[in-house]
Amino acid sequence: MGDKQGSAAPAASMTASWIAYAAILIVGLLSLFSLYMGFLNYSTNQDIALVYMFIGAAGFAAIGYMLFKGRSPVKQDALDVKKVEVFTTLECPKCQQKRVRDFKRGDYVFKDDEPCTRCDGMMVITRIARKKEEEKKQESSWL
Amino acid sequence: MVLLFAQVLQSQGQGTDVNVILQTLYSFAFIIYLFYAQRIQTLQMLRQIEMTLRKVKIVKDDARNAAIKTITEIGKPTVDIAPRVDRFIDFFSIGLESMDPAGIVDKMDHLLKTNKHVYEAEVKALAPSATETERMNMENLIEVSQALNIFYKIIRHYYLLGKKTMNIYIIMQVHMILPQLVQMVEAYSAGIQAFQEGMPIGDGVGPIVAGKLMHGYPQRDVAEEIVAADVPYEGRTLVVFKSRGPGGSVGNPDEGLINIIEERQGKVRIIIMVDAAGKLEGEPVGQVSEGIGAAIGGSGKEKFKMEEVANKYKIPMHAIAIKQGMEHVVAPLVEPLFDATDKAIESVKRIVMDYTEPGDTVVVAGIGNTIGVGQ
Repeated sequence: MGDKQGSAAPAASMTASWIAYAAILIVGLLSLFSLYMGFLNYSTNQDIALVYMFIGAAGFAAIGYMLFKGRSPVKQDALDVKKVEVFTTLECPKCQQKRVRDFKRGDYVFKDDEPCTRCDGMMVITRIARKKEEEKKQESSWL
Repeated sequence: MVLLFAQVLQSQGQGTDVNVILQTLYSFAFIIYLFYAQRIQTLQMLRQIEMTLRKVKIVKDDARNAAIKTITEIGKPTVDIAPRVDRFIDFFSIGLESMDPAGIVDKMDHLLKTNKHVYEAEVKALAPSATETERMNMENLIEVSQALNIFYKIIRHYYLLGKKTMNIYIIMQVHMILPQLVQMVEAYSAGIQAFQEGMPIGDGVGPIVAGKLMHGYPQRDVAEEIVAADVPYEGRTLVVFKSRGPGGSVGNPDEGLINIIEERQGKVRIIIMVDAAGKLEGEPVGQVSEGIGAAIGGSGKEKFKMEEVANKYKIPMHAIAIKQGMEHVVAPLVEPLFDATDKAIESVKRIVMDYTEPGDTVVVAGIGNTIGVGQ
C-alpha cells in the first residue's frame, strides 16, 4: 500500500516544479523587457525610464528570492550512503609485531586471531577503525 | 506605485497593441503573485519533501534488504524469511501510561525485558544457525531497519497529509525539520554496514575503555550480559564491568552496578562511568570531558536505578564522556574515537589517584553497545 502511495506522488510535484520554473521565466522576460524599455527611454524621458528600471530590477530581485527560497534545505549528496573501509590492527603481545589488514567478518577487538609470523605468540586484534575522515574546512579560525 | 506605473504605460504606448499586452501580462503577474505566492511556496516545499522522501525510501529498502541478506547468509533459514522480516520491521512497543508515575521505572524495566525477549525469540526463529553473537548483531540490524522504516512513514505521513489538504502549516512542520530528519536517517543508515559485519561502533567507546582495563584478568558474569573483572591498580581494586561482547548488546549495566555494590555491602569509594556523549557543533570528535553523575542514556530506567544505588550508599559518581557527532554513534568507529579511549583511560586513572586511597574499591563502568568489542 505504501509503495502505491509513494509512486502516485511524483507527477503532481513535477507539475509543481514546472509551474514554478515557468513563473520564473515569465517574470524574468518581463523584467528584462522593462530594463530594456528603461534604457531605451533614458535619454528622452528620464522619469519613465527610472520606473521601468525599478520594475525590471524588482523583478530580478523577486527571481533571486524565489530561487533562494526554493533551494532544498537538504544537501544534494545527503543520504548517499557509501560503504566505508575499515581496518583491523593485530599486535603480538610477545614480540610487539604489528600488522594491519582489511576488516573481515568475525573480527573483534581483543580477539586472539592468528599465530605470529615472527615468534610463537598469538596475534591479538587491538584496533578496529575506519580511516580518519577528511578535515572539514574550519568555519572561522577564532571558533 | 501601481498608478504611476499605469501612467507610464499609457504615456508610452498611447493605446497600442504592445501596451495592452504588456498591461495584461503585468496584471496577470501581479494577480498570480497576490493569490498564488503561498501556493507556489507550498508546492516547492512539497517537492523538496518528496525528493527527501524518495531518498529515505531507498535507504530504508537498503536496510531491509541488508537485514534479509545477512540473516539468510548467516542464519541459513529453511523458508523464505522476507515476509517475517517485513512483519517484524513494523513491530512496535506501546509507551507506558504515566498518569500515576509511581512505580513506572519497574514497569519500564518489565517492558524493556519483554521487548528484548521478543527480539531474541524472533531473531532465533529467523536465523536458527546463527551463533549468539551473530544473533545479537542481527537484532541491532533489524532495529536499524525499524528506525528507518519509522522515519520513512512519518515523513510520508506529513507529505501525503500536506498534499491532500494543501495546508502550508502541515507541510511546514516537516519541511522545517527536514535537515535534522535527514541527519538522523544518515546516522542510522551508517549503522547498516557495522551491524551487518559486526564492527565496533561509536557508541562502543565505553566498552572499549572497560575492555582495555580488564583484558587479561579473570572475568565473571555479574548480571544479564554484563561481565566484570577485578583489576588491581596502585593498591586499589578497580571493579571494571561492561556488556559481554563481541555481540551487539548494551546489557543491563544498572543491574551490574547494583550487584557489584551490594556484594560489597556498599563499600565502594567511587563509581566512574565512561560513555559516548553527543558533541555540540564546534567540539572535536573524540574530545574527552570529565564530570559527575550517571553517564548513561537510553530509556532512563538504567540511569534511575544507578542513581538510586549510588545515593543509597552515598557513593560519588564520576562521569567521563567521549564526544562524538550523531553520525558517529552507530557508524563504524573512526580513528579519533579509538584514540580517545586511551585518553579516557588516563582520565580514569587520574580520577582514581585523585579521589581514592590505597585499599579502596572503585567501580568502573564502560557503558554502550559492545558490538565488535570483546573483553
